[in-house]
Amino acid sequence: MTTVSVTKPSALTWVRRNLFRTPLDAILTIVFGSLAVYVGIRGLLFVFVNGRWEIISVNLKLLMVGRWPADELIAIAVALVILGLWAGLIAGIIAGRQVRKGTSAIEGMTRLERASDLGRRFGLVIATLLLLLSLTDTSGPWLMVLFTFVGGVVGRLIGGQIGVRSLPSWVSRLGIVVMVVIPVWAYLYMASAVPLADWEGFLFNLSSAAAGVVLSFPLGLLLALGRRSKLKLLKGMSIAYIEAVRGAPLYVLLLLANVSLEFFVPAALAPSKVVRAIVTFTLFTAAYIAEIVRGGLQSVPLGQEEAAKALGLSPTKQMRLIVLPQALRNVIPAQIGQFISLFKDTTLAGLALGILDLLNAAGAITQQSDFRGQGLIIETLVFVGFLFWVGSFTMSRESQRLERKLGVGTR
Amino acid sequence: MTPKLEVRNVVKSFDDKVVLQQVDLAVGLHEVVCLIGSSGSGKSTLLKCINLLVPIDAGDILLDGRAIADRSVNPNEVRQKMGIVFQAFNLFPHMTVLANITLSPIKVHGQSKAEAGERAMELLERFGLLDKISEYPDRLSGGQQQRVAIVRALATNPELMLFDEVTSALDPELVAEVLEVIRGLKDDGMTMVVATHEMGFARDVADQVCFLDDGVVLESGTPKQIFSNPQKPRTRQFLQRIVDAGRL
Repeated sequence: MTTVSVTKPSALTWVRRNLFRTPLDAILTIVFGSLAVYVGIRGLLFVFVNGRWEIISVNLKLLMVGRWPADELIAIAVALVILGLWAGLIAGIIAGRQVRKGTSAIEGMTRLERASDLGRRFGLVIATLLLLLSLTDTSGPWLMVLFTFVGGVVGRLIGGQIGVRSLPSWVSRLGIVVMVVIPVWAYLYMASAVPLADWEGFLFNLSSAAAGVVLSFPLGLLLALGRRSKLKLLKGMSIAYIEAVRGAPLYVLLLLANVSLEFFVPAALAPSKVVRAIVTFTLFTAAYIAEIVRGGLQSVPLGQEEAAKALGLSPTKQMRLIVLPQALRNVIPAQIGQFISLFKDTTLAGLALGILDLLNAAGAITQQSDFRGQGLIIETLVFVGFLFWVGSFTMSRESQRLERKLGVGTR
Repeated sequence: MTPKLEVRNVVKSFDDKVVLQQVDLAVGLHEVVCLIGSSGSGKSTLLKCINLLVPIDAGDILLDGRAIADRSVNPNEVRQKMGIVFQAFNLFPHMTVLANITLSPIKVHGQSKAEAGERAMELLERFGLLDKISEYPDRLSGGQQQRVAIVRALATNPELMLFDEVTSALDPELVAEVLEVIRGLKDDGMTMVVATHEMGFARDVADQVCFLDDGVVLESGTPKQIFSNPQKPRTRQFLQRIVDAGRL
């Protein structure tokens, strides 16, 4: 009889087995190990010792919101606090509904587990916010973030209470309308303080990505449905649009948006550069969303439509109640991926349209008299890359979480 | 007396392949008709033609003497009088059992949530599924899913039920519970057309058995006539294979 050893190998054994099994393994380990250590040390040295980060802290406002007038900053603060409340309400309502339906993931977790769950999800964002705050020397941003946080917590608590209740359908419908109106209002409120044309810095990247996402989704959905339509003309137009837009680089479209409008519209009527950027983002992303949604529609088995038809549902209701919900659920990760690339692609608008977005501002500040000719572009680019990475990484993690969640119980 | 359902000279082909050629069928009120025949003989297509899921090329389909395959007839109106159950269940995976069942009563027949819910609970109770009411379909066994699908079709009080090989996708030990439900419906006097490979069931339950072969009703009659004294060589051959397989 053979006995099987189940003792855990010691660290040394593990290293020998996994890193130095053959001479080739040993060489690879040594080469790439030293490379990794070297890069790691140089990176750490750059971030903590050699990097001259005062260019960021001095210009933080310019990087974040561009030349937004100081006495109008309160508008951003108010909008953010409202949005914090809004996001909290939505999170609360969703969590409450899950409790009511018994599908909650966090119910039954201890308070500590919940905190660590939230920490894993949003720790990176919170840490980044704290880092940014630590670079400021005024109390305004601190107060803004504090009140936004408080708004979020209050919203979460109220939302949780609303979510566990079963409301009459007219109340929930009204609620949905209110939840849609709130962010639109916040957007318009900020635009009334400072015209859209003057939105700059990271604010431009974030807000125009958000606007692009919100506007491109319905358009993409319509295009996907158009592509499946039995009406030849509609189908043809949808296909032509999708293929034409997907065949062009976004940068080219943005350059075109910059110059070509003057041919058609008198200069006085032509929309501002920011609006042009948002319109281009929307038209571009919609074509991709259309293809993603089409894939989703194809992934729904034919039997679903047949069953819906057999139950007497009209074609519109078959689509709206049976096919679309399943199709969209299947392609949530792909859609979020598309939105992540839109978020990063907003930097192209800075170059193509000459908007002082985060990337352009990062370049511009290296030309200030205090910093000129010192090679500080590395610091500023690293900072820009870091902010986009935090945003993209967080979105991608949330997408994976959503995917896991939807995989359970409801296919 | 006009039959509940009459199929006259129905022809259907997909591209070049003729699936139904000149099919005739008459189903009286409260009658159970079983369609037997090998796979690809046209049983499923015939049922889908009757439910207007598949348009026919020629012929007539009459429900209570009224031509329903006519262009002037609204198919949704006709479908509301029939229920169909599919081989692959086709439950809606994003909805609970209750939502699956009450969808059509609420969205098509305009019933209130409470009214539709009550009827759903009545049916679920009858078929021993009441404890599954708020489950999602993928949490149920195949037999349970198929029984829910039958309840869903019954929820709108159809006058005619169509069953399209409803036990073919089930594990053998789950077949009985589904057939039991159909037997129960026969006792209620439901008019049914059942496409099936379960010959024992067809023999026990059918008032009329039709043998389909290559898109034609080759032979039809009482179960006794078909199973004990088949006239056509093809029918005998088919039944012999079933017997050899130990399924009759």
